[in-house]
Amino acid sequence: MVQSILDAISLGGLYALAALGLGLVFGVMRLVNFAHGELITIAAYTLVLTAQLPLILSIVLTLLVTSAIAFMMELAIYRRLRGVNPAIMLIASFGLSTVLQRVYEFIFGALPKSAVVAPFLRGAFTVGGVSITISSVITVILAIAILLGMGFLVERTSLGLQLRAAAADFKTARLLGVRSNRLIGAAFVLSGVLATCVAFILVVQNPQVNPYYGLNITILALVGIVIGGISSLRGAALGGFIVGVILSALNTLLGNGRVYAYSWLFLLVLIILLVRPGGLLSKGTELERV
Amino acid sequence: MALLEVSNLAAGYGKVEVITDISFSVEPGKSVGIVGPNGVGKSTLLQAIAGGVSASAGSVRLAGLDILGKKPEDIVRLGLSLVPEGRQIFSGLSVKENLALGLTGRKDKKGAGAAIEKMRELFPVLSTHENHQAGMLSGGQQQQLAIARALISEPKVLLLDEPSLGLAPTVIDDVFGLLRQIIDMGTAVVIVEQRANLITTFADETIVVRDGHIQSRLTPANAANADSLERSYFGAGE
Repeated sequence: MVQSILDAISLGGLYALAALGLGLVFGVMRLVNFAHGELITIAAYTLVLTAQLPLILSIVLTLLVTSAIAFMMELAIYRRLRGVNPAIMLIASFGLSTVLQRVYEFIFGALPKSAVVAPFLRGAFTVGGVSITISSVITVILAIAILLGMGFLVERTSLGLQLRAAAADFKTARLLGVRSNRLIGAAFVLSGVLATCVAFILVVQNPQVNPYYGLNITILALVGIVIGGISSLRGAALGGFIVGVILSALNTLLGNGRVYAYSWLFLLVLIILLVRPGGLLSKGTELERV
Repeated sequence: MALLEVSNLAAGYGKVEVITDISFSVEPGKSVGIVGPNGVGKSTLLQAIAGGVSASAGSVRLAGLDILGKKPEDIVRLGLSLVPEGRQIFSGLSVKENLALGLTGRKDKKGAGAAIEKMRELFPVLSTHENHQAGMLSGGQQQQLAIARALISEPKVLLLDEPSLGLAPTVIDDVFGLLRQIIDMGTAVVIVEQRANLITTFADETIVVRDGHIQSRLTPANAANADSLERSYFGAGE
């Protein structure tokens, strides 16, 4: 039971981090960046390929590579398309995602790359007769620490204030002096940092990295964003967390029927959206008086 | 010397030109009003000056510097702020955070503390609500917040798009009283208004816009003649 609760919280935290990465970019660009999954994938490849290095060096390298690719995505593709119809941006991000998957396949091969990352996180310990995996505890601690760090950045810093304002109304934010290129670039770099965090947690649990490694979690994180409220960073994190917890709970509760976990998850998502079409933290819930 | 000089400005959306051949200027401590029926391009004019809408012809000079084609975030740093139509405050953020966003456009970051204090003096009602969610303020308070947020960057030129929209008459008096103080402090102010009678008596010069171009120019003296205003506004007698 304790292990199940820890698994649910750790999966929730993981999805919250992925959803926050997507939510940051959506907030400033109104772009659903499908290629976020490929940032997670390249971070996972970098972690695996640098597993022989000291862990801290491997993580720093991964942060640099992933953030640089995230920034390049914006600079080379999305910046040129800024202002076009959102549907075109969506197709562009989908295209970029597919192209990057093929590029990874070409560079790293179709077969999974594997290495043991952070071996000290493997194994389990016993508390009161209950066996608990180290990775689930570390995942919970890491996810909470990163979410708190992101919470501080978003709620307490000038960059965070600008990100929240841009998420609400980018046009007005620019009229007040918020520099669009700098803010969007920062959002992409931060999404790269979050993709690295997600990849680290994923790779510790499953080091079999293939070109589609980040796809599944990205789709579920998108579901989380919709549940939480697409124009709110808090909503994105909350929605991601809820999806992770529900999925983990379904996997535990359904036993052999866990193959239907996704069906039940999407049914629950539909019910939530029917009750709260704008998401749990949509603008409709804000107290407003005019 | 004029702080803001708009010459033969034309702007619109895509291939549709909304305003054509608009020219006017504002000096420090002076105000220009812009009136006209709905949909004639008054808001487009302010957005084109502030960089929010692309201009297709003409020039806009701020203290002698051509600002046409510059990004809105750069124009605010050069000393021109816009209070957009509908106030556009960030309702989910606190009053304090809304004001802090206004500081983003300041060139001189050292004077930020003094600028906040100045806004507290000028808009005391905002101080008492500074930790409240901005969306919880009344319409008049929200308008004051939008003006304070624009002023905190200490602009040389302030543009306001329908500051009286949705406000009770007594609150409109308060807002225009504040605007008078701001003008008296040396700021050049351009106000788009639906209430023609209000703005023609308030502004040093009022421009009547019809079908995207200037129909006539009024001073408080000749606008006092109701027939003259009506003719300019509705084109009667043409």
